[in-house]
Amino acid sequence: MKPISPWQALLRHRSAQVGGTLLALIMLAALAAPAMSAWDPIAVDTAHRLLPPGTEHWLGTDELGRDVFSRIVHGARWFVGIGLATLAASAVPGIVLGLAAGIGPRWLNLLISGIADVLLSFPYVLLMLAVVAILGPSLGTAIIAVGIGGVPGYIRLVRGEVLALRQAEFVEALQALGASRWQIARRALLPNIASPLVVYASFVTPLSVLAAAALSFLGLGVQPPAPEWGAMLVNARNLLLTAWWATAAPGFAIFLAIFSTNLLGNALRDVLDPRSRWAAT
Amino acid sequence: MNTLAPSSGRRLTRPLIMTALLLASTTCLQAQTMRLRLGADPETLYNVQSISSTVDSVLGTYLLERLVYLDDKGQPQPWLAESWQVSADGKTVTFTLRQGVKFHDGSDFDAAAVKFHFDSILDPKNASPVLPSLGPLVSVEAPDARTVRLKFSKPYGPLFNTLSLGFMGINSPTAVKKAGRAYGRRPVGTGAYKLARWTQGTEIRLERFDGWRAVRADLHQRGQPLPAEVLLRVIREDSVASAALETGELTSAQLLPDAVPRFERDPHFQVFKNSDVRTLSFIDMNQNRPPFDEVGFRRAVSLAIDRQAVTRGAFNGYATPMTVPLAPGIPGHDAALAAKGELGYAPDKARALLAAAGWKPNAAGLLERKGQVARFVLRGVSGSDAVDRALAVVQSNLKAVGIDVRLETSDWGAFYPSLAKGDWDMAMMGWTWPDGSVMSSLWRSPGHRKHLKPFPPLDATFDRCGTTLDPKARNQCLAEAQRLMVEQVTVIPMYSPWAIYAVQAGVQDFHIDGSGYLVPGDVRLPK
Amino acid sequence: MIAYLLRRLAATVPVVLGILLATFAIQAAIPTDAVSAMFQGQLSDNEAAEAAAMLRERYKLDRPWPERFAHYVHQLAHGDLGESVRTREPVADEIGWRYLNTLKLTAAALVVAVLLGLGLGLLAAWRRGSWLDLAATSLSLAGASIPGFVAGLLMVLVFAVWLRWVPVLADGWRSLILPALTLGLIEAAPLARVARSAMIEVLGSDFIRAARAKGMTEWALLTRHALPNALLAVVTLVGLQVGSLLGGAFIIEVVFGWPGIGELAVQAIQWRDFTITQAVILIGALTYVAVNLVVDLMYALIDPRIELGAA
Repeated sequence: MKPISPWQALLRHRSAQVGGTLLALIMLAALAAPAMSAWDPIAVDTAHRLLPPGTEHWLGTDELGRDVFSRIVHGARWFVGIGLATLAASAVPGIVLGLAAGIGPRWLNLLISGIADVLLSFPYVLLMLAVVAILGPSLGTAIIAVGIGGVPGYIRLVRGEVLALRQAEFVEALQALGASRWQIARRALLPNIASPLVVYASFVTPLSVLAAAALSFLGLGVQPPAPEWGAMLVNARNLLLTAWWATAAPGFAIFLAIFSTNLLGNALRDVLDPRSRWAAT
Repeated sequence: MNTLAPSSGRRLTRPLIMTALLLASTTCLQAQTMRLRLGADPETLYNVQSISSTVDSVLGTYLLERLVYLDDKGQPQPWLAESWQVSADGKTVTFTLRQGVKFHDGSDFDAAAVKFHFDSILDPKNASPVLPSLGPLVSVEAPDARTVRLKFSKPYGPLFNTLSLGFMGINSPTAVKKAGRAYGRRPVGTGAYKLARWTQGTEIRLERFDGWRAVRADLHQRGQPLPAEVLLRVIREDSVASAALETGELTSAQLLPDAVPRFERDPHFQVFKNSDVRTLSFIDMNQNRPPFDEVGFRRAVSLAIDRQAVTRGAFNGYATPMTVPLAPGIPGHDAALAAKGELGYAPDKARALLAAAGWKPNAAGLLERKGQVARFVLRGVSGSDAVDRALAVVQSNLKAVGIDVRLETSDWGAFYPSLAKGDWDMAMMGWTWPDGSVMSSLWRSPGHRKHLKPFPPLDATFDRCGTTLDPKARNQCLAEAQRLMVEQVTVIPMYSPWAIYAVQAGVQDFHIDGSGYLVPGDVRLPK
Repeated sequence: MIAYLLRRLAATVPVVLGILLATFAIQAAIPTDAVSAMFQGQLSDNEAAEAAAMLRERYKLDRPWPERFAHYVHQLAHGDLGESVRTREPVADEIGWRYLNTLKLTAAALVVAVLLGLGLGLLAAWRRGSWLDLAATSLSLAGASIPGFVAGLLMVLVFAVWLRWVPVLADGWRSLILPALTLGLIEAAPLARVARSAMIEVLGSDFIRAARAKGMTEWALLTRHALPNALLAVVTLVGLQVGSLLGGAFIIEVVFGWPGIGELAVQAIQWRDFTITQAVILIGALTYVAVNLVVDLMYALIDPRIELGAA
């Protein structure tokens, strides 16, 4: 049997097909939002509030008369933006610290693991609220707050994989040849943890988006009038029986976006790293 | 009740009939339970320690009674105080108390109880948040069981309105002394209902107080309170409360403005709207930050705001657009001045004022003057959909005249204290208080957040209002204060949201009194 | 075994101390305190200043935080969790019964999550790659794709208002149904994922192939070999999930008004009531540590191949 590349396996995987297509649509909306709708997503027009879906407003208008469809497509930008930003906020410190813990001296390992344990033991809601309380509410703060919660997971993942890899023969060979820790990290470790990292990121990033929505629910998320799906949903949560489109649109958008990301994550795991212990955390 | 004839042979009849009767009686009892919503569990029910709105409404509606109440016209009427006299210099007010009133624990209501209550507030060891509301109160004397004398260092204008507040009720000193630190969990007053059980975090169960006497003149029901039991259920989420209303599990609940049309169309509910409210939302401007130190600029900002659009968007129209800084339900509100709408929507005039002050649109369409672009920050309190919407409308209104405003909302714990730092331009917030002294507390220089430049004529007027006890003279004084504030644009009044509630269709006489509190004893529940 | 237990317990002490230190650092970093947040209704700074100063002194809020930290640790050693600035009552009173409520909720939700996770994981692994796999996986993923507060409100709408299967305002054990179901649905997804992959791994192993060749039924294979393996994986995950479970419980508590520590903590942070926040964080951390300890022990007991001394 001819071996197939991961790409081909991915393209053949059903979950990847479904999830990938949906995500591609979202990316498209994120890029082309202004072209997809003539209406300004933040233009207020209270005389035409809560209009049902129709020919002029495809998904109706919200509580301030803003076009819902326009806000949804512009919201795709926020989804992608928040996803990537929280990914960076969690992954960058997580990977760096995890590497340090894995290849560094034992005391560093203990210290970093201790920090990760401390962070993990905070219920994430309290952690987010505390960060926002310290730094003051703003978009940047929300990203940091959500991101911090994801750091210990990355630390554990990277540290665990690195520790396992250290025993591997080729790493020992490199050490015997006199390579520095940094060179070992770059040449041997990073490429090999890429797969589990990608899989892990695909599972954890949607959780960050949901955490951002939880922040909005508690009144500390993105500032109005941003067309962010989570904030839209929070603002429209009492309108389900009055103007269902205002609630259903952001609700479905979030659901589909996260669902498709999760599907894609499933596929990535099956293809790249099926036996990974970390695929589910 | 009929006695059951002994049966011979049909063994099931008796137990069946007993069960039926038992069921019927419990259903009758259940029908006499009023179920209402509490937005939050009160942290304590001792009114010396807390004056939160939950505490105010629970104590003021059911458990405690005050010396006076306000009637429909906002005038103080006798309640636990039968009559009163103000001394010539206005510094001493003597109350003659009603006789024969008892606390829930059986002890007598008398002057010693009133003195004990006020002394507790005055005691610095208690650090009572009520203390500032009592103003220049110095001491309280109880020369005999029926007389209480309040002594002030200067005449205190807001006295009667303040005494009518829900959290100014009198507690039983016996109970307070006996319970000590635990009193907050078992308040004892003279109200129509006493505390039966408080399941913390979930509900407060109140039952009818058999020893209660209906002394207020505005009660419809002169005998026992009609509902035997009142259940106050803690429901934090509005949609959950709305759901409970729909399933009939709540007798009544406040409605969100967007849900009103749906309930009005529904024959299972009656909807009441009250626009006579004591809440005002407003935008403060930091006069220490130019250009907010210019009257012209402040006026332009106010004229640029379309309050109709705000109340439509944020409240579905169920709020009063305000152009004077005193809520419509507060005695002293100047309706004539409000009708003139001098601070109301006039975008062309706003643009003219800005142009006259030297602001010109730059390439991006924003106003600019001497290198300063009209870009400001508007802070608000998070967690309220209505406030978020109102802020968005204001932002869009100001954008239309060329002023760019960025919104920053945070929870109250961060918002209010942060304003004391002085690094803000505009801030929107709401305030609920039944007396005109709220204007003085907020806007007498230097202002509640030290954000106002001195303005002696207004300060002098506030001081005069504060020491005038005669209601008519006081109202005239308050009208003068409002006029001065409108002229100076000390603050931008925004809106006063209505109180709208839905009641199950079969319920009769669910009404609120002159202060906005429910009169629970009058409510007639369906059988 | 005892040595392992003691070693693990000893390892938790620095973590707990680290948590306390972190909470205090946070408190020191937050710009406002409970007293200034409390006097929101009090407008005259002069009048409120005296009362505020006294409250601050009483609760030592004006001391430098190292001093407060030492005082707090000293208090804790004596079993005293301090007093809430807002209610002036001992924190332990309020936290005790609320913690029990949260435990009830999370325990019930965990049962739902584990059952659902194992069930869906089993279905998916049994017919791996098929439509059944996709359907079962999708179902479990769906639960994790909606924000918690939406799931809660939808559950109320569907089950209490439309179907009238439960009252909106339930009492006693009935009030646990909707919140536990909601939280369980949300937390089931990662468990299903782990269960599925663990079962797939087992089902593909040589041992299973031999057993199948010997004629063992599918059902016996699944229950006697695949399921225990999945259970092991699920149990491990539960330990790591505690933080997320508690966090999710907080939101569910706020939505349903479930009187647990989550609801309390959210309010406490908004009021900047630090004594309560600290106590909740401490309890949350101890819970996490305890659950992980239990999980490690169970893991070691179930699978003797695991080296107890491994890092």
